[in-house]
Amino acid sequence: MSTAHARAPATARRVNRSANKGPVSRWFANQGPLSALRAARALLARPAVWFVAIAFGAGAWRVAHILGTAVGSYPVATVTAIVLFACNAVPFLLLIGVINFLGRQLVSLRVLAFVWGALVAVPVAIQGGTAAQNVIAKALSPAFAADWGPAVGGAAVEELVKAAGVVTIALLAPTRFRTVTDGFVYGALIGLGFQVVENVVFAVNAVAAEGSDRAGPVVATFLLRGLVAGAWSHALFTAIAGAGIAYALTGRRPPGARAAVAGALVGAAWAFHFVLNAPWLSDGFGYGATGVFLAVLLKGTPALVAGATVIVLAERRDAAYYGRLLTAVNDPRIATPEEIVALVSPLRRLAERRRARHRLGRAGGRAVRRLQRAQAKLAVTLARAAERTCGPYEVARRRREVLLRRRELLASLSRWVAARHLP
Amino acid sequence: MARVGLAREAVGSLAIAGVLALFAFVLPAVDRQIPSERPVPPAMPYAVGGSVTVVPPAGASVELTQTRPGAERGSALFLVGDLRLAVVVGPFRGGLAEAEERLRRRIESTGSTPGAAGQEVRTEQGVVGRHGTYTSPGRHGEYAVFLRDSEMVQATASGPADAYPTLAPRVREWLRSITFGGSR
Repeated sequence: MSTAHARAPATARRVNRSANKGPVSRWFANQGPLSALRAARALLARPAVWFVAIAFGAGAWRVAHILGTAVGSYPVATVTAIVLFACNAVPFLLLIGVINFLGRQLVSLRVLAFVWGALVAVPVAIQGGTAAQNVIAKALSPAFAADWGPAVGGAAVEELVKAAGVVTIALLAPTRFRTVTDGFVYGALIGLGFQVVENVVFAVNAVAAEGSDRAGPVVATFLLRGLVAGAWSHALFTAIAGAGIAYALTGRRPPGARAAVAGALVGAAWAFHFVLNAPWLSDGFGYGATGVFLAVLLKGTPALVAGATVIVLAERRDAAYYGRLLTAVNDPRIATPEEIVALVSPLRRLAERRRARHRLGRAGGRAVRRLQRAQAKLAVTLARAAERTCGPYEVARRRREVLLRRRELLASLSRWVAARHLP
Repeated sequence: MARVGLAREAVGSLAIAGVLALFAFVLPAVDRQIPSERPVPPAMPYAVGGSVTVVPPAGASVELTQTRPGAERGSALFLVGDLRLAVVVGPFRGGLAEAEERLRRRIESTGSTPGAAGQEVRTEQGVVGRHGTYTSPGRHGEYAVFLRDSEMVQATASGPADAYPTLAPRVREWLRSITFGGSR
């Protein structure tokens, strides 16, 4: 890495420094003081920015109150729950990273999606879900509310509140909300934020039912809600709904067809949530914990299959589009046809890195990953340039970044050759 | 063009704010408008959850938002004037002393103070439990816990401290009416 820096020309070093900065510092680096002021004023003139700020402020206050009370009463159990469920989110984030590789969204928007789920959706869903179940109990009976309240009231309220987050991101950053994959990823992150905070609240409620500050009920909740039911929970439901919303907002078919697909996917997300919360098979076929696990598996698998189908179809469409854009560049220094074929498929992409790591060591694997990431960013920038949502400067900057990563890969290769063949 | 974009964004933001307000404020307001108490038939066993039933005192009403009967666990809250009678049912693998300790901790976590350790008590069915008292500012309460076949019942009753001595016999009668296997 240091060798590559030493050999890189000054322009490339500047690009490298810029590439290594975060999006916020890069944004400020690209603004003069006056244009930064203008940009800030333009941002503050946007209604969606104010709406999100108010929603986040109110949500943060409410969640801080809930968690603050829990920490005050049961500090050990609450901290254990926060740590366990935060760790539980890591595999989901890694998986979303793999899905998200080609059309990678801005970090700020991904964080915003997660925070919407954690801070806005949870308190609203607690208020609305409780009220819905109370109304069901009063209108029908407490027994019906106990059995069907979470399925009828809970699922509807939660799915709508989370879906509202996907629409908010589309409002806030329409030029960054371009494909069905974008909607899937933002939805998954909203659902993930929601399930982390909701699971912590469930764990603390289990502790409160016992009345003592012990980690036992937290671990039991973690096993059930984090491990057994985690894979087919909010992240998956909202990802499916998000893909539907993205299809409606970004698709090119007639409005009726787009609305039908969006309605079907949002409806499917709600239906999967309804089935998971419904009392069907809640006795686990009478086989105890194993039966409950099998029942959850049976209820959750269709959602997992549906989610996987949606994202495979969406990624295939994205891959074909981005692949065509990189092919049209027609410059083997940017991307060879073999690299494009590998780049657009998650499995081939990972295989390529593994091969590089095997031949050139860890530095080689890292260099291939960085080259692939730079190529993916260039592909997205080319797509945005074609839609006139970014200018030629951005395209040129991304091209330079790819060339720099190519140089790093070559440096890694020459080091490997030197180590092997020179005395 | 930019103004049209901002107007569309404002309408979109208001629509989403409307959805959030519907669930955060409107639905809870509708819930509050609907009466939550419903009279229960006198001298009739009420299914609390699991296999457990209890006979509410005469003139009692059930608080619908705090009552959730289920196949394995459940809860019910009855109100008779200022008297609050709560009963919670759920599976439990420990012994009676441990069950009592857990209930006393729960009472403490609500800001009340349990009295000395409980005495033995029996339901009309003959199930042995533990019974004790607790206090909170201006109120006096009793608790009882029963255990049979890994099914636990926690019952608490509280009323105004000055009127409690006259209410206590009804509370004891209510506690004795707890029956296991009554709803199966």
